[in-house]
Amino acid sequence: MQALDDRPTGDPVASRYSRPTGTWQPLAGERLLDRLRFTGRHRPEADPELPRALRAVLGDGRPGDGVVARAGAPRVVTRDVVTRLLGQGPGGAGGCATPTAPLAVGFLMKALFRQLNVLGRIDDPLADGLAALTVDGHAQLVDWITRLAPADLAELSAEVDRQASALARRWPTLSPCWLPRTRQTLRAPLAGGAVSLVAQVDLAIGRPAPDRASVGIVELRSGYRRPGHAADLHFCALVETLRTGVPPFVVATYYSRDGELDVEPVDGELLLAAARRTAAALRVLHGPADGPVPVGREVPRS
Amino acid sequence: MTSRGPDGTTLDPRALVEVISAPATRSVPDDARAAVRERLVAALPQALGGAVPGGQLRLDLAVLRRAASNGYAEPPADEPFSWRPSFVRRSLGLAAIDACLDRRFATPAEATPVVADEAVAAWARSGWRTFHWEAWYSALPTGAKASVVAEATTWATSLWSLLDWVAFPTRPTVGGPGDRWTFSGPRPLRLDGRSELQVDIATDPARRPAGPPGDPDHRLALVSVAGGIPSDGWPTELGFVALVAGLRRRSLPVPARIVGLWPESGEHRVLEVDSRALHAAVDRVLTTVGTLSGRHGPVGPATGSNVDDVSGTGPGAGS
Repeated sequence: MQALDDRPTGDPVASRYSRPTGTWQPLAGERLLDRLRFTGRHRPEADPELPRALRAVLGDGRPGDGVVARAGAPRVVTRDVVTRLLGQGPGGAGGCATPTAPLAVGFLMKALFRQLNVLGRIDDPLADGLAALTVDGHAQLVDWITRLAPADLAELSAEVDRQASALARRWPTLSPCWLPRTRQTLRAPLAGGAVSLVAQVDLAIGRPAPDRASVGIVELRSGYRRPGHAADLHFCALVETLRTGVPPFVVATYYSRDGELDVEPVDGELLLAAARRTAAALRVLHGPADGPVPVGREVPRS
Repeated sequence: MTSRGPDGTTLDPRALVEVISAPATRSVPDDARAAVRERLVAALPQALGGAVPGGQLRLDLAVLRRAASNGYAEPPADEPFSWRPSFVRRSLGLAAIDACLDRRFATPAEATPVVADEAVAAWARSGWRTFHWEAWYSALPTGAKASVVAEATTWATSLWSLLDWVAFPTRPTVGGPGDRWTFSGPRPLRLDGRSELQVDIATDPARRPAGPPGDPDHRLALVSVAGGIPSDGWPTELGFVALVAGLRRRSLPVPARIVGLWPESGEHRVLEVDSRALHAAVDRVLTTVGTLSGRHGPVGPATGSNVDDVSGTGPGAGS
């Protein structure tokens, strides 16, 4: 059985290029997997100073210290909350007040991505996705989708079919030995639990090791690439590092719309930048104009 | 992965197993256990509202935690129960881990879908529901089944990654029926305690592994797994698990150690159980019962109580 950190099995040069070129084709199968696990950098060993440095940036010490000092009741800070506090985007806050077709495709594709990683197959994309959303408690969104006008529903179904069939064709089979975890919740308490940084990742792979970066985090996006996607993943990497003391070795976004894969090795600089961004959001959160901050589970965005 | 203790020190999976299975350092003598029970029994009637009749209150670790965070709301009585993946993940995840410990599978990801299908097949053959969700699961369409399996796989894998399972001196007992203790009165109360792992430990450091249950040297360490992060009240929450086990299993020693694991946040806490820990848990129970029954303030002794010890919880491991 190959370990997740084995050398690439595909063409090591070609596999490093996943961006569109004139003859660009999306990566698939083993080559896609190689792209995820072979970042071109050594996987760093665990550095006990790194989580301490990150916590220092976040102002985390004993309760009452730093940027989390003014927290009252425990607060849950997600990547969406960070984004919204910094005024860098809409930042979902736990609800889905106005469903849209792109949002619906996003929810459906995340459910199908999960199914593919667990069962290894997608039977009927729209039916499977709706069934998953129903059992997961998204009845309102399911109702909105099923009440679409026939032409709109057909268009949505066609897009889901297109993305799902390409995903099933390209996404590699993950060895169970890599301990794939779908929709894993990561939490990092700060200031003795007064604030919790919380992230939910679509897929985490790799056996967590206490002494070496060994986990990869993958996010699926069904829409277009946006600058905020990278910051979202950096936040996830930050929470994972604070949670386990060891950073993930890679974060990646897979765009099911066109099969593009953005891969970013994780290093100290990336994590410190994510900590500074999160600290800035916490200052807003606990600033003088501290108002109620809606918190809750994250909303998949297209 | 490593897990962090209250002082920030981290333990790798092997070190955490060594902490769990280390020889017991404290014990609760029979007379101390009896005193704990008598105090609880004496104080419950007033905490429950005196002689005012009412429906049975059920107190488990989740209710205990929610009540402390002011997030408790009694579910509407007319709201029908419906299964969700999050209700299945614990029992299915534990069954998957059990199958891995039996060496049928290498990882929870391999075990979970097979174990789910086997549970449905066994129910279809015999009509006996080991988990109670078999009929619901069997009727689900593919996408919904995938969600159930995924939820359980992630839960089980998070626990699986925290511990070095081959480092246990003896194979842990996984899941199983919880402990239940019922107080009968005008308003009955049921305490439900459960743990995810039961580990045999010894009191004599020279004896590893421990002797079998019934051996004078035999003790139990229980592992309790929770979501989120540990609250400030973790000692009394873990103490609650020991308290219910001590009330229920009167012929066996009180569990010597309760280890709490919070995989989402990579945290662990260890409670060495002594009579002080049990009395603190009693205080927490009385405070919570007072809150839930709408009575606040100090709780004093009362008379006229009638206690039933109820054995077992049936075959369901619950979720």
